[in-house]
Amino acid sequence: MENKEQENVVGLVPHRPLGGTGIQVSAMALGGYHLGSATNQQEVNNIVARAMDAGINFFDNAWDYHNGHSEEVVGTALKGKRQQAIVMTKVCTHGRGKDVAMQQLEQSLRRLQTDYLDLWQIHEVIYENDSDLIFRPGGAAEALLQAKQQGKVRAIGFTGHKDPSIHLKMLAQDLAFDTVQMPLNCLDATFRSFETNVLPVAKQRGIGVLGMKSMGGSGEIVVHGAATPEQALRYAMSLPVSSTISGVDSMDVLEQNLAVARGFQPMPAQEMQALREQCKFFASDGRYELYKVTKKYDGEVGREQHGFPTSGELPA
Amino acid sequence: MMQTSASSGIPLRQFGNTDANISALGMGGHHLGDAPDEATAMRMVHEAVDGGITFFDNCWEYHLGKSEIWMGKGLKGRRDRVFLMTKVCTHGRDASLALQMLEQSLNRFQTDHLDLWQVHGVAFDNDPDLFIRPNGAAEALLKAKQQGKVRFVGFTGHKHPDIHRKMLNTGFPFDSVQMPLNVFDSQFHSFETQVLPELNKRGIAALGMKPIGGHGEPVSRGVITAQEALRYAMSLPVTTTITGMESLEVLRQNLAIAQGFQPMSHQEMQALRDRVKAQAADGRFELYKMSLKFDNPESRLAHEFPVDMQQVEMKEMIQATKNTGHPFPKIG
Repeated sequence: MENKEQENVVGLVPHRPLGGTGIQVSAMALGGYHLGSATNQQEVNNIVARAMDAGINFFDNAWDYHNGHSEEVVGTALKGKRQQAIVMTKVCTHGRGKDVAMQQLEQSLRRLQTDYLDLWQIHEVIYENDSDLIFRPGGAAEALLQAKQQGKVRAIGFTGHKDPSIHLKMLAQDLAFDTVQMPLNCLDATFRSFETNVLPVAKQRGIGVLGMKSMGGSGEIVVHGAATPEQALRYAMSLPVSSTISGVDSMDVLEQNLAVARGFQPMPAQEMQALREQCKFFASDGRYELYKVTKKYDGEVGREQHGFPTSGELPA
Repeated sequence: MMQTSASSGIPLRQFGNTDANISALGMGGHHLGDAPDEATAMRMVHEAVDGGITFFDNCWEYHLGKSEIWMGKGLKGRRDRVFLMTKVCTHGRDASLALQMLEQSLNRFQTDHLDLWQVHGVAFDNDPDLFIRPNGAAEALLKAKQQGKVRFVGFTGHKHPDIHRKMLNTGFPFDSVQMPLNVFDSQFHSFETQVLPELNKRGIAALGMKPIGGHGEPVSRGVITAQEALRYAMSLPVTTTITGMESLEVLRQNLAIAQGFQPMSHQEMQALRDRVKAQAADGRFELYKMSLKFDNPESRLAHEFPVDMQQVEMKEMIQATKNTGHPFPKIG
């Protein structure tokens, strides 16, 4: 983007290039996990319609969110709007092979009521040996390539919330990822930082970056007073990313987000630096970035594949 | 590692660059507090001393002081034959609190000095900054040493080699450093490869803990035997390996391994590393590195991390404070 937002009608959420894919995505995306928590299908339909009217075209999801419910409600809400939407979902092999990945892809396509994805990412790359497992012969990396060749997905990437070194291990592999997703917020800037360790590497290679956890995963950054919701979201969206994925489970939250995202203007560099300084104390031990320092945000399927206790047995 | 044999057969090793020698196997204080009763705990201490163990580990916050009290009783009349360590639990708080905790530990042990006093639970990324800040715990360590209340000082933690290295880089003159050392650690966020060589180079005494990986999961799942695990840990270039024993039976098993201990060969150690490679690679048997599970409530409260109300230590704290919300025990 460098950092000229694409020409856009004032009042709409700006669009930005998704790395080198030729795809344009809105600077804010709707997080699929939270859409699966909305009251009912009608609520999801309303959120999606309102978001699209405001310029949001990018929809995040994952095969294992609410056991498929998240993909189903988004698929239904996008009926008749598929061509205007950029649809992403994630595959949850957690070390299992290509065949499992391809089966999950077919399932995701059915639930999302479409015959192609705009973006397919490997979910939760958070264990030290995940890149070894993904890139072993017959691993999930082969599924990404095959799906792309078959035209079932336009672009491929991966995501994870644990440690920059695990992301860098993935990026060191011999595969041309189109995107990479990571936690990016005003606390991450000074603690085990994806912003300083991974973002520049991705940018340099022209890989589209997707930010998540702009408020610390469950609003910790805001709840504990490190930053206001507006500051937190503006900070994340001002980074050189293609899009910031934000969880929305009600019209109220959507309106709050749109108030920041419509006609978005990035924070000046000095303001970003001031916010980093303001947050430093809260960032320094990871207390509000629990996805990096505990098991709390690590999903059940991955725990099972890696021989870890369940979230019931080991909550954090 | 310089190694001499005690009369009972447990090898003694030099404590860093100092003139002190300690047994290659150390008795863990937390598990002693899990013994069925005080009499059993005292008997375990007696048998341990008679069996050649001279290194005794403890901590101000283990079982709210019970571990220190039981060990103190067991060591009555035997204090001169052992090398006694306990840990201070400031968790980022200041020097005066540390010195108050020291007095309490000495009272519980019924002794006027410790051989080793270590900062407990250096587990969060900013702990080194909090330790070395003006009026931080570092000042208490120096003062206690000057006053002759402790002979040596050190620190311990189970979380990440980078945090240990950050502590070493504060420039503070540590006599010892304690860390998890086991065959799983050898290939995952490894203290063995990232911290131990630095300690050996500087002549700082290296103390190993968690030889079987915390709560012994790899043994109960049949990945490795207890004997293999303990022998691997003791074969590293460490001064001692601290292991928990909550019964006479476990103590006797450990004594049998430690008496007449012969280190594993390099080939044997490498073969064991290779054998557990798949299970070591994601940290599944080293939950102390991966989760809050082994971070005690005192430490979490001081850092404002969420506390797990189901944790044994948390329940103890709530009971002891009658749920006043204050850390236990009240100091000063």
